[in-house]
Amino acid sequence: MTVVPDVLCVEQLSKSFGALRAVDDVSLRITRGQVVGLIGASGSGKTTLLRCMTGLERHDAGYVSIEGKPFGRVSVGGVDRQQTRKEMDALRPKLGLVFQQLNLWPHLTAIENIIRPQVVVLKRSREEATAKAVQLLTTLGLSAKSSEYPYALSGGQRQRVAIARALAMDPALMLFDEPTSALDPELVGEVVALLRDLAAMGMTMVIVTHEMGFATKVSDRIVAMNAGKIIFDGKTRGADLASNRPLAGSHYT
Amino acid sequence: MSKFDPWLIVEYAPHLALGAWRTIYIVVAAFLLGYAFGIVLALLSFLPGRLPRTLLTIYSVCLRSIPFIIALFIIYYGLPFFGVRLPTIYVAIVSLAVYKSAYYAEAIRGAIVALPRGQFESARAVGMSPAQAFRHVIAPQILRGLIPPSTNLTLMLIKESSVLSSIAVAELTYQGLIMQGNTYAALEVFTAVSAVYWALCSMTAWLAHRLEARSNAPQAAAIQRNRIAARYLSFERVGK
Repeated sequence: MTVVPDVLCVEQLSKSFGALRAVDDVSLRITRGQVVGLIGASGSGKTTLLRCMTGLERHDAGYVSIEGKPFGRVSVGGVDRQQTRKEMDALRPKLGLVFQQLNLWPHLTAIENIIRPQVVVLKRSREEATAKAVQLLTTLGLSAKSSEYPYALSGGQRQRVAIARALAMDPALMLFDEPTSALDPELVGEVVALLRDLAAMGMTMVIVTHEMGFATKVSDRIVAMNAGKIIFDGKTRGADLASNRPLAGSHYT
Repeated sequence: MSKFDPWLIVEYAPHLALGAWRTIYIVVAAFLLGYAFGIVLALLSFLPGRLPRTLLTIYSVCLRSIPFIIALFIIYYGLPFFGVRLPTIYVAIVSLAVYKSAYYAEAIRGAIVALPRGQFESARAVGMSPAQAFRHVIAPQILRGLIPPSTNLTLMLIKESSVLSSIAVAELTYQGLIMQGNTYAALEVFTAVSAVYWALCSMTAWLAHRLEARSNAPQAAAIQRNRIAARYLSFERVGK
């Protein structure tokens, strides 16, 4: 029997900023199709963990691997080595990151935001990339807005463009950093529906949030962090959350 | 005191034209060279670690703290010490380019720093290399904002090129000094020289203005297409 590697595997990852240990010896495995809600108060280390997992930040110790391939640091004969930029860049499209601030490129239209990285990074032809972008924008209900520049779009529409941009790279894993924070409260329902749709398509996802209610609505597994450590890791679907009392004592009750 | 004699200028017009041409040649070459140098310096300053940034600061503080004429003398009289003998006009171009590159580099660096960091990060996150991120995401966004400061610096460059007369480069000011020596008609001569500098600077400013209007056009058109944006934001109409 062949062993299917985990989509994402984090082993004993640590990251300090000066004296502050932002992420402290964290290990985490995410298997295909899982939707993980990564929660914690601000300063708990969840965003730092996300930035280390996506290679935006260099961690001090530990390993990350994506579908079994090492990402960031590798251990060769017991000696740790930082991967070269090219080694890391080759794996980056596998991680579809949706930033808290979205970071759409304002000088490009919505559809061009989705086409450009496919052409530049994956070397797809313009036709192929355009077809993919049109298909994604249609799926996300944005086909009428494809030739608009980002500032002409609403917050929710921008977010969907950012999601489409990440999805176009055929990622193994989608990561969302605080997907509800930049939106009006009434749009949260829309995001929940969208994330559930993605989950129904079988997309593996990590959703970083500090809103417990939102996290339980969209994810089937909750990982809670405090002071750089994982303090809770468990299923939500079917499980009675109230019985998972390790969380009591923090303010997520 | 003799009378103001405009005919003198007509008589010496070929000299003025020659000087103007030489000035244009030097300014264009120094601009291209200096700007290219400025881009390279600005990008190098973003290499990891504190050292690259510090080196750029030292470079620009040193150059910006001395008058151009002194920098020119150092390069002009200094190069032969190192066995480098170049035609004077190349020394002139290189000196201007090096001197201005410090200013251009700081302007370019400032424009990049002013962009939200997330722009670079989102380009890197999809797998673009730093060079690709610069080419597709950073450069197109800073270009528009760079036009006004670059224009100012280039207008200064045009005027600073007059200093080259002190190492006998036969540009506009030098021709003016010769004309003055021949005619003793300083007022007529330098009025004419001023007029030529004014024309050069106006043309440069006009070109820059056109460039800026053109770079605004696509987004302005998109805004006008959007009724809500048009209602809430009052954007200056950019004519074609």
